[in-house]
Amino acid sequence: MSAEAAAGTARIFFREAIARALAEEMARDPRLLVLGQDVGAFGGSYKEFTGLHARFGDDRVRDMPVAEAGMVGVGVGAAALGHRTLVSITYMDFLMLALDPLVNYAAKARFKTGGRLRVPIVVKTTAGAKGQGVAHSQCIEAWMMGVPGLTVLAPSTPADAYGLLKAALRHDGPVVFIDHKRLFPKSGEVPLADHVLPIGAACVVRAGTDVTVTSHGYMVHIALEAAERLQAEAGISAEVIDLRSLAPLDTGTIAASVARTGAIVTLEEGQLTCGVGSEICFRLGEIMGRMPRAARVGPLAAPVSSNPVLEGECLPDAARLVAAVRKLLE
Amino acid sequence: MIYKLLVPGPIDDVEQVRVLEWHVAPGETCTLGQLVVELETHKALVEVRAEHPAVLRTILCDSGQWVAVGAPMALLSDGADEALPDSLDALADMPLAFEVN
Repeated sequence: MSAEAAAGTARIFFREAIARALAEEMARDPRLLVLGQDVGAFGGSYKEFTGLHARFGDDRVRDMPVAEAGMVGVGVGAAALGHRTLVSITYMDFLMLALDPLVNYAAKARFKTGGRLRVPIVVKTTAGAKGQGVAHSQCIEAWMMGVPGLTVLAPSTPADAYGLLKAALRHDGPVVFIDHKRLFPKSGEVPLADHVLPIGAACVVRAGTDVTVTSHGYMVHIALEAAERLQAEAGISAEVIDLRSLAPLDTGTIAASVARTGAIVTLEEGQLTCGVGSEICFRLGEIMGRMPRAARVGPLAAPVSSNPVLEGECLPDAARLVAAVRKLLE
Repeated sequence: MIYKLLVPGPIDDVEQVRVLEWHVAPGETCTLGQLVVELETHKALVEVRAEHPAVLRTILCDSGQWVAVGAPMALLSDGADEALPDSLDALADMPLAFEVN
């Protein structure tokens, strides 16, 4: 970041970027409500709702029971009747319980009512593995990408979390906003002024000439680590694209990059079968008229253990990405 | 003797902390067990207490500043008039206790 740009930013924790975006949007739009487990006085599992309850009160920041389908159902109904809602699903695994109101009601309401009913709900949820085992570690964002009417966003930095959450909270349809357990220890520069990112715009976070690497969320940091190792160990120049928006997917930015580099490796923490990488590679083939040289990197096709050794074996890491890129370019 | 007060660690997942508040001002003496400074991590507050009485001489990072685990935050000395050196390299670490809440 340039000195001029940095002058208009402040370094904050990832959780603070979430809280700041919410506080600003709640002040801007009195219809916006926050619903979820421990979002009230407790301030959120990762402290990302800190300060909202004290400022906006019980009516607008509501603790909910452990009943995800009910929570999202209430959020969808309130949004359909003129509110905006952010519903916090603590871990993405639990979103499975709330797919009916999200997929069958929120995502289809506009179509079903000929455009008369909009459901401006943001389902914010935390994905990813960090020592919590088979049912608290999953990344199911690719499931969401196939639902017409759903917008799916996944930031990798505090600045993008701030800008994308604000965009989500101003969007007129349902949004799944996905952060990651391993993003919460991070901090970063965030603009001091109001900053809304466009939905559907990927970002080239590292320029390169030999291969394009796409990723989203926490895995962008693994991609950047691998890119540095590729440069140092093999003289391979990797361009890294942070997808930021999974639905809609910014195929234009990806295709333009692959047209320059001639090869793509996708990286994701979710399962590879019918995953983000499969979708990207096939769409590239359609756009380019031929399949580019391509490889996908992801976890093993296995549940994530709470045993840290087995968790590490399951998850993709920089070493696997480096190996996949080198093999592809051999 | 002169001491450097370091950001304590290791703390899980934490590489850098933000200084929340100093509870001792330059020129004041820290007593044994006194709260010297509070630090913020992504999810916790860290209380840093003196394990040796000493005079706080200079604060190297003010409230709101970010500092890495293991980096110096302040200089202290046994006597209030001891001359401070130009380099921190040879200084002893200030004995401290810390608690992550």
